[in-house]
Amino acid sequence: MSHHYIRFSDVHFSYPHGPEVLCGVDLLITHGEHVALLGLNGSGKSTLLLQINGLLLPSRGEVVVGDIPVSKKTLRLVRQSVGMVFQNSDDMLFMPTIGEDVAFGPRNMGLPETEVERRVGAALESVGLAGFEDRPAFSLSGGQRRAAAIASVLSMEPDILVLDEPSANLDARARRQLIDIIAGFSHTVLLATHDTEMALELCPRALVMDAGRIVADAPTALLAASTDSIAAGIFDTARPAPILAPASN
Amino acid sequence: MSKLENTLISINSLARPATDRTDAVAMLAVTLLYLVAVLSVPLYAPQRIIWLAVYPVVQSEVSGIGFLRVFLRSLWVLPLILLIGVFNPVLDTQTAFMVGGVAVSRGWVSFISIVLRGLLAMQAVLLLAMSAGFYDMCGALRRFGCPRVLVTQLQFTYRYMAVITEEALWMDRARKARGFGRRNYPLRMWGRMVGQLLVRSYERAARVHRAMLARGFDGTMPLSRRTRMTRRSWCFIAAWTSVVLLLRFADISSLFIK
Ligand SMILES: Nc1ncnc2c1ncn2[C@@H]1O[C@H](COP(=O)(O)OP(=O)(O)OP(=O)(O)O)[C@@H](O)[C@H]1O
Ligand SMILES: [Mg+2]
Repeated sequence: MSHHYIRFSDVHFSYPHGPEVLCGVDLLITHGEHVALLGLNGSGKSTLLLQINGLLLPSRGEVVVGDIPVSKKTLRLVRQSVGMVFQNSDDMLFMPTIGEDVAFGPRNMGLPETEVERRVGAALESVGLAGFEDRPAFSLSGGQRRAAAIASVLSMEPDILVLDEPSANLDARARRQLIDIIAGFSHTVLLATHDTEMALELCPRALVMDAGRIVADAPTALLAASTDSIAAGIFDTARPAPILAPASN
Repeated sequence: MSKLENTLISINSLARPATDRTDAVAMLAVTLLYLVAVLSVPLYAPQRIIWLAVYPVVQSEVSGIGFLRVFLRSLWVLPLILLIGVFNPVLDTQTAFMVGGVAVSRGWVSFISIVLRGLLAMQAVLLLAMSAGFYDMCGALRRFGCPRVLVTQLQFTYRYMAVITEEALWMDRARKARGFGRRNYPLRMWGRMVGQLLVRSYERAARVHRAMLARGFDGTMPLSRRTRMTRRSWCFIAAWTSVVLLLRFADISSLFIK
């Protein structure tokens, strides 16, 4: 269980007929770490995440997940231990009911039906959707759909949780619920986000991407205070002081 | 609620069994037998096919679905059936029998026969899908030795119908939101919307597929419940088998028409 780390060694990647999107990424995330992946639009965050469970394979370099090098042959193993929550939850909800969606992963893993049911119940419960089993996805609110999408991954009991923009379009309460769900996940978490406050709260460590490279790897709080131009763009520290800020001594 | 929303709801409702008591395997067995019975009635004996309507009528009422719903949905295949049978009255004008002094040609008799068979067969299949639920039906098909690829294909087709309808629903909302109640759009715009719909559905399907792969999908849809035969299912099969065989082979009409 202690081997659930993620390691990228000199990973290069380009989409067909496109320029290089990942240009030599090196990183190591060890077991139990919660890490934020920050970067401006188009810097390559989503592309990097898709390498972790082999939905995209590097054109050069190597990705290793918990002692298993990610390749065509190891996809099945890797995908069982990496739970991926996509940018758009609607893409993850395609079965007639939420319950079936959450059961999809465990059933693919070939678990017995009683175990599948137990996991579906537990996963829905943990995201605050107990009793929603029979509801079709389109009848849920945006926040509930996000929660259901996360449940559909938690039911596989992954060792590594990878999330792409999980807090987009959530209201304050749904966002708070989401933060609690992620904070309660004791294994490894890698989180791509523009929500820097959530990153500060959940992830002690942050990686900053720019134009396909990791340009910073530091404590999140330190980055937030940085005056570096990229960090300033991400944390929006160039903004004027808020009007309602309490007067400081 | 809009038409599209209703369509989506009825597509989705097809996924689950209408009643928990329905055993998909037993239901499939009876349906197969019924299809053979209906399709094997001689073409020129429509009066013998009518009696076989007992199965869809009674079973849909018993299972609480209601025959009317099954009947209305079965009308969807009518155009196809008409297309198959439409030339019979033209090609075969030989007189079959007289009704009140009017000669009824063999062509018309076979035409009616084709329509009845088509509707009843469709009703039986719909009844199976509606009462067993789409996924349990697929599970039963696997149990009956239907190849895995075919069953998966069937499930995909079914899910794809829902995906297209859902995309259409979003597009329809976007159009209404900016259309200010306007209804008479030029034909050109509808054409563009259909094109958009196909592109969107395709992209959505590709993204959904990626999300499926991420959760360990390996080309075969997992089937939900293991189907087990109970004493109930055997009784169900036995009862309907005897009724269907009786209706098929006993010439009931001759009791009424001398
Ligand atoms: N399917 C694709 N085909 C070709 N190019 C792509 C594809 N997906 C992304 N790209 C390109 O790769 C680059 C990185 O995209 P990516 O989605 O990884 O960025 P991101 O950091 O996730 O951005 P955002 O913050 O907007 O989500 C972009 O320049 C984008 O145009
Ligand atoms: Mg992205």
